[in-house]
Amino acid sequence: MIKFIFKGIVRDRSKSLIPVLVITVGVMVTVLMSGFLKGVLSDIVNQSAKLDTGHLKIMTQPYAENKDQMPNDLALLDLQDLLEDLNQKFTNVLWTPRIKFGGIIDVPDSNGNTKTQGTGMGMALSILDSDSGELERLNLNKSIQKGRLPMRKGEIVLSDAYAEKLKISPGDEITYFGTTMEGSMVFKNFVMTGTIYFGSPLLDKGTFIMDIKDAQDMLDMEDGTGELLGYFNSKIYNDIEASQIAKEFNSQFINSKDEYAPIMVTLKQQNDLKTSLDVAESFNAIFIFIFIFAMSLVLWNTGLIGGLRRYKEFGIRIALGESKRNVFGLLLAEASIIGLIGSLIGSILGIGLCYYLQEVGIDISKDVENSTIIMPSIVRAHVSTNLFFIGFIPGLFSMLLGTALAGRGIFKRETARLFKELEV
Amino acid sequence: MKKILFVLLFCAYFSNDLSAQQSSKEALEIIKKVDKNMFSETQIITSEMIVYGKRKSRTIRSKGYSKGQQNNFTEYLSPEREKGTKMLKLDNRLWIYSPATDRTIQLSGHLLRQSVMGSDLSYEDMMEERKLSDLYNTKIVGEEIYQGRPSWIMELTAFVDDLAYDKRILWVDKNRFVPLKENLYAKSGILLKTTLFMNIKQIDGRWYPTRLNYKDVLKDGKGTDFVILDIKFNPAISDEYFSKSILRK
Amino acid sequence: MKLALKLAFKNLWGAGTRTVLNVLVLSFSFVIIILLNSIIDGWDQQAQKDSIVWEFGEGHLLHKQYDPLDSFTILDGHGPIPKNQLGITPILVYQATIYPQGRMKGIVLKGIDSNQTILELPIEKVKTSEAKFPVIIGKRLAESAKLNKGDEVQIRWRDKNGTYDANTLTIVDVFDSNVPNIDNGQIWMDIKTLWKMTDLNQEASFFVADKNYKAEALPLWRFKSQEALLKQLKDLINQKKTGQAIIYLLLMAIALLAVFDTQILSIFRRQKEIGTYIALGMTRSRVVRLFTIEGSMYSILALIVGSIYGIPFFIYLAQVGFAVPPADQKMGIAIAEVIFPLYGIKLVVSTILLVVISATIVSYLPARKIAKLNPVLALKGKQQ
Repeated sequence: MIKFIFKGIVRDRSKSLIPVLVITVGVMVTVLMSGFLKGVLSDIVNQSAKLDTGHLKIMTQPYAENKDQMPNDLALLDLQDLLEDLNQKFTNVLWTPRIKFGGIIDVPDSNGNTKTQGTGMGMALSILDSDSGELERLNLNKSIQKGRLPMRKGEIVLSDAYAEKLKISPGDEITYFGTTMEGSMVFKNFVMTGTIYFGSPLLDKGTFIMDIKDAQDMLDMEDGTGELLGYFNSKIYNDIEASQIAKEFNSQFINSKDEYAPIMVTLKQQNDLKTSLDVAESFNAIFIFIFIFAMSLVLWNTGLIGGLRRYKEFGIRIALGESKRNVFGLLLAEASIIGLIGSLIGSILGIGLCYYLQEVGIDISKDVENSTIIMPSIVRAHVSTNLFFIGFIPGLFSMLLGTALAGRGIFKRETARLFKELEV
Repeated sequence: MKKILFVLLFCAYFSNDLSAQQSSKEALEIIKKVDKNMFSETQIITSEMIVYGKRKSRTIRSKGYSKGQQNNFTEYLSPEREKGTKMLKLDNRLWIYSPATDRTIQLSGHLLRQSVMGSDLSYEDMMEERKLSDLYNTKIVGEEIYQGRPSWIMELTAFVDDLAYDKRILWVDKNRFVPLKENLYAKSGILLKTTLFMNIKQIDGRWYPTRLNYKDVLKDGKGTDFVILDIKFNPAISDEYFSKSILRK
Repeated sequence: MKLALKLAFKNLWGAGTRTVLNVLVLSFSFVIIILLNSIIDGWDQQAQKDSIVWEFGEGHLLHKQYDPLDSFTILDGHGPIPKNQLGITPILVYQATIYPQGRMKGIVLKGIDSNQTILELPIEKVKTSEAKFPVIIGKRLAESAKLNKGDEVQIRWRDKNGTYDANTLTIVDVFDSNVPNIDNGQIWMDIKTLWKMTDLNQEASFFVADKNYKAEALPLWRFKSQEALLKQLKDLINQKKTGQAIIYLLLMAIALLAVFDTQILSIFRRQKEIGTYIALGMTRSRVVRLFTIEGSMYSILALIVGSIYGIPFFIYLAQVGFAVPPADQKMGIAIAEVIFPLYGIKLVVSTILLVVISATIVSYLPARKIAKLNPVLALKGKQQ
């Protein structure tokens, strides 16, 4: 029977093509929009996650207590062991170390003496390791003002205003002067390869970024880091999962006598992000409700048109002796199949597009120059499991509902009238 | 009646002043002897600085050359990371040279107030090597047996207004004229730092402490130790040690 | 026209459920556009107001060497208060170290006249205190240094000659401000106390200007207007506005799609009706107009329906405010815990216009098809 209906659908273009197309587009739009919305709305939270908190963060207990002071003497050590352990246990999280530290950027004259100098804030991240995702996460490529990002060890980028204050331009050699994790004096020469714009006056004033390996060597923190940030592979924060991971991780150290035992905190536990997350969630729910509502309306209309234009056919079929019930049943079966096909294609396309928008994003700024780390101009979608049914279910049911409503006419009208309706 | 009272009061004041003068004169003599004992026109010191970190302690060995009160040159000997790092101070300027980068960095102003190698001492603290008798009014405020040594307790109050510490209290060994302990105070009288002078040995006819402990008392921690491994008083030091060219040698 | 309106309304009324649904969808987008914009506008206004009353005043007159973002300019970035300058409140900035619980923490001391009225800062509280060094701090420093009202904390600083001094501060008040810039790592005290502590009598690092201030060139000082100071905030808000515009444009798009789709359906279903209109002597353009008006009528009804549930909701929100997550505070931007939405006339009018005009356009697009219909076939109800 289904085969028969299916053949009917495939062979009669007017029966199939338009409705399937409309459902496909409708479902796709719904899926895309809700994925996109989720991405946009979680942006506030992501912003903080990207810059500072991660989805999860590991520090030592005493570091966590004094983290405003960037106490690298309390840093996390034996990083490799820790990473191996983490990667084994929590496969859906990407871990990346970051070190924040202070120091002086000193610019030499031709004799190697101080020409200009200025204090600044250092940020060390995995720039050279492309698997870390840090470039994309912090929108670094697009935030470059002059020159380029570090591509090998011994290269450094400065915030634009900082470089201007020091009167240096890409290609110049500078020296970092500061203290190691233990407090020893440290000097290291770098080639300044570019300048970067953060979009926050505080950061733009005096920030420099270097690769984590350089910082580890320089600050005597081989195999150590100030903070180890964890990001879900999905790029979106999931609180239930995060809490579980943190609980599992922290339970290993509950009875640890080590004063410097690591502690894992979730994004929600940091910087009072709880409310942000809740607000984003409820907004998301409202929007999705409206989308589904509107899409159902559109699909229902489609179902109606599909039903109405076939009244004559129904008239003939009833005249030939088919029962009204049977006609109606077949109509619904057809609608289900059309709905199924349309919803399926729509969901696949929608999720595919969402995925593309998640990975690539849409650039909303008019010119790239406005792009910064603090305010990225890229808006991204987010693929989550609920996208698989958020378009699919309304797609299927609104088609069915629309057809059912249109099909009511079969019972209401006289067979003869059905003939004449939309008469040839 | 009034007159008598005035005379009496005047006498009392005068005698008081006289004894104070005498005491401060004696105190000045003591401080001058301490200065004479502790300072020499030129000096070469090999020492170790032990910084007690929160997790690890570090020992930094250096060799310092000084001339007069203003000029000092220090070369770091170990650990490996600091080896070859040189620091030159001429008057109020400080340069640091690192062999790894072949760079000379000048520090000035606010940067001199930063801690040196994570210790309880700032660059400024390290640079301050002026004779106490040139800077402070001195007074003997007591005597006691400190660490088994009869000593004076002396109060030093600044008469120069650009000093880091407004007041110091010094325990001075009565026989050896060497400080045993020093408390450094803020203008308000609050104790800021203490220095302990230990392992006093006779070197070239002087009594000299070979282990010192500096501690910022407002802060938790064990402070910073200084151990003098070798010291030479008034050696001949070539002028080239106190010129910038020494840094890159 | 009157007839067209009447007819359009009757037709819609007759369509029942579908009309209700279309109107609801459209009204949702209408309400949400106003809601989102009013929250942003409310934030904009609140943040600007807070920044002005807590930090900016009518502008800052800064010492040429003082840069509020560079703590190393504090040492030299101050000078004697210029004479005969009206309308400025001096603030002296000075570095010090506090020792809460034996830990060392660098902070910035800020001295301001305890009788000042230009900033909201409750500095007058230090006047009634018996303590020797009464100070006030913000809630953020209170939290990070674990200090509370009534607590004492050791402070060490160096006077202008570099001589160490130390004493005990008494925290007489912890203030709650939405402006992190005047809170993080800062301790406020009477400027006279700070002058005494530092020996920098009658000196200031910068001034907060009030209405009486007239900008004139001073050799040691540079003026930054309120507008210049607010620029960063405005940039951020504009960025947020763009992000939100995307959301509600999408929402509008889907609502309009529903209207568009309904129009197509009704034109398809009502061919006989269209044929009849033409047969009875209506010009095609009038029929097109009728259907367009019918479509745009959705938006009018949506406005009415949206107002019915939207206005009470807006009034309610304007009273209780909209709770805002503190996530943005890390960025040093003034944002309150509760934002009260601001419903500007411009916002409401432009939203109404946006909804009505766009609904009319999407209604017109399918209606154009009518003009191409063959009236005879249409009258017969034949598909074309």
